[in-house]
Amino acid sequence: MTIEESTVPASTRTAEPKRKRGGSPLLHTAERYALLGLTVVIALFFSVWPGSSSTFPTMANLNVVTGSQAVVALIALAALFPLVSGYFDFSLGAIAATSSVLCAGLMSHNRLPLGVAAVAAIALGAACGAVNGLLVTRARLNAFVTTLGSATLLGGAIQWYTGGATILEGISPVLTRFGSAQFLGLPRVVYVVVVVMLVLWYVLTHTPYGRALYAIGSNARSARLVGLRVDRDVFIGFVISGTIAGVAGVLQLARTGSATADSGSSLLFAALAAVFLGATAVNPGLFNVFGTMIGVLFVSASVSGLTLAGASNWAQPVFNGAALLAAVGLSTYLGHRRGAAATS
Amino acid sequence: MSALTITGLTKRFAGTTALDRAALSVRPGTVHALLGGNGSGKSTMIKILAGVHRADAGQITVMGRTYEASQFTAAHARQAGLRFVHQDLGLFDELSVAENFALDAGYPTAAGRRVRWSALHRRVSQVLETYEIDVDPRTPIHRLRPADQTMVAIARALRNQEEGELILVLDEPTARLGEHESALLLDAVRRRAAHGQTVLLVSHRLQEVLRSCDDFTVLVDGTVGGALVDAHPTERDLIRLMAGGTEPDLGGHAPRETSGPAALRIEGLRAGPLRGVELTVGEGEIVGVAGLVGSGRTTLLKTLFGARRAAGGRMWLHGEPYAPRTPAEAIRAGVALVPEDRGGEAAFADLPIRDNLAVTVLRRYWRATGMPRSRERRDSAALMTRYAVKAAGPDAVFSSMSGGNQQKAVLARWLRREPRLLLLDEPTQGVDVVSRADIYAAIRAAVADGCSVLVTSSDLVELETLCDRVVLLKSGRTAGEVIGPHLTAAHLTGLVQSALGANP
Repeated sequence: MTIEESTVPASTRTAEPKRKRGGSPLLHTAERYALLGLTVVIALFFSVWPGSSSTFPTMANLNVVTGSQAVVALIALAALFPLVSGYFDFSLGAIAATSSVLCAGLMSHNRLPLGVAAVAAIALGAACGAVNGLLVTRARLNAFVTTLGSATLLGGAIQWYTGGATILEGISPVLTRFGSAQFLGLPRVVYVVVVVMLVLWYVLTHTPYGRALYAIGSNARSARLVGLRVDRDVFIGFVISGTIAGVAGVLQLARTGSATADSGSSLLFAALAAVFLGATAVNPGLFNVFGTMIGVLFVSASVSGLTLAGASNWAQPVFNGAALLAAVGLSTYLGHRRGAAATS
Repeated sequence: MSALTITGLTKRFAGTTALDRAALSVRPGTVHALLGGNGSGKSTMIKILAGVHRADAGQITVMGRTYEASQFTAAHARQAGLRFVHQDLGLFDELSVAENFALDAGYPTAAGRRVRWSALHRRVSQVLETYEIDVDPRTPIHRLRPADQTMVAIARALRNQEEGELILVLDEPTARLGEHESALLLDAVRRRAAHGQTVLLVSHRLQEVLRSCDDFTVLVDGTVGGALVDAHPTERDLIRLMAGGTEPDLGGHAPRETSGPAALRIEGLRAGPLRGVELTVGEGEIVGVAGLVGSGRTTLLKTLFGARRAAGGRMWLHGEPYAPRTPAEAIRAGVALVPEDRGGEAAFADLPIRDNLAVTVLRRYWRATGMPRSRERRDSAALMTRYAVKAAGPDAVFSSMSGGNQQKAVLARWLRREPRLLLLDEPTQGVDVVSRADIYAAIRAAVADGCSVLVTSSDLVELETLCDRVVLLKSGRTAGEVIGPHLTAAHLTGLVQSALGANP
């Protein structure tokens, strides 16, 4: 299987809007901030809607929403690296879940201190990313299938390690306190996300490495012929991605105070929805850091509002799925429209 | 009586006349060769026949029925009995011969839409027997030898023969085949003609055409340069017609004395189709590489750029041994490549022009404070002015530009690095006349600044215009060179087309 076949273009590239050839600057600005505007509108709606107006616009709710979405946000940021360079990574949810279970297990079963357990868990994430990266760049396996395989394997490993039980005992109170503590009115974990976000933004848009990743994602063959080290850069992308997923796992443990034998797939799909939604904003047509964060906020504001307005548990997955379909559909439509405009 | 007649065919594309009152007359039951150099208008004629392009004027008569060429559509072509087999055969490699037939003609089915495989295989076996293709209908296409693959495509195109007379148009059928396979294929085509099949054959290879065709029509600059009916021309006759009536001098030439160290020296280079290339590019020299498609031109440039591994031979760059393993190494050594396939190997189509220009110099821009967008934008705008790249601005998407401007941007991306050796593969393919002049000016300016250039092109006028010296590449070997007053497109056409060129 060639590298071309294992890259994203067939699915995402068509899903991404073609960037415009000029057009009115006003329209362009409107498009850049449409998702942000929509998020604000949804937040305002639930703030005045009688079913949720007493609970939605409160600091308590803001804390719950941002705190619980921190892990999803980190996984969304992790997914950016492979996606920007043209590859899917389906194993990030499973890597986070594995990291969470390992961190809990090392403290609970092996009585290791928090620092060691956390570093080991994050290192495991990096190692999983490295394995994925090697399989994709060296063995030229299809990224889609490879990462789906690693996700399944890790899900099984979690079951084996935990025996299906939730790890509750022996988790460092320092970690759980950090997970529930606040700083300047927001959960501390949110600041972790903000720091990671700023670092990734710098790496992706302000280093030669990040710019190379975008070029590789645009056309890997051209990238090779302008002297970019395509395989190395993609490999590093997978390692960074796995490392951030590892951090997300530790953060997850900090938030919940226990590690369940969960495969992490719900985390992954919410995160992917946010990344794809994000590709319609800020820098339309390209996966980007701030767009992704707006995507996370959009999904979490909507889901929180729906839940508080009395919608049931099924509301969250239904909304995530619908939002993802709408985002991909909208960007494909815009892409066709602009493609037609560009050829006329 | 002729099976296919074309008269007064005229077609203009934005400013240039591709066909000017061209004519063609194909007798039934013969193999008719349509010949001409690049840009002679033969592909345009075939595309009009296929209904891909609409002509501006002219008539097309097929089996006694006359159509206005300006209204000739693909449906007309099909209904009139024209059947096309293009260089890309349109077969499904992984599927069996029988399935390839059935996908076009429909599967024979029994009750419940069940496919009657045995009936299908019987039917296809009969067809294969008629066409003397000795393969099992269950064989996947990719297991067939190349000549048989083409014959399967031909048999498929002609499958409704009994319902009415059909004319087969073969567009460069041997371009991708080796010598032996070509001979096999053309013998098979010849046998079909003996059974009364009318064939119009487009080919670059004169010797093949001479062996297998009855009649010849030669196009030169969109007009008929010569039409030979039931003649037995020599290769030299055809070359003279293709070169517009002048007799190309095939005599030898003394190589130019190059003073100073060579920018590039290659000895016995082997890689893929290359079987021993000897080549020298002097400092500040523009050397052209001429040769047919498949002669290894692109492989030569890719190998020099480290994008392909050499299997043997040695290279020196400015006197230093040179063996790049990756494009990155070649670039560090001061080499640049503008590839032939702009869309597939040079463009970052969905990224801004600025990114496309900066991609070769990313590290130069980097500071701890990040990539300076405003400086990049300023530099890009300056480059676009300098190399006459017309676009909405540095932030416009690369694919929003015309082909010519895209090509100038790709060239600018490399020239900003001030390479010492510039490799150009078909630098003006699909580029308009104005941009072409801009590109030549940019190349000459780079040479004036001390850059050396190796350029390949199937446009021999381009090589005449641009080069100090042209090297001929034939079957993966360098087969002589042309310099000085002999360096004309007509002369090059003769050398490239002729087997004599192998031993000048």
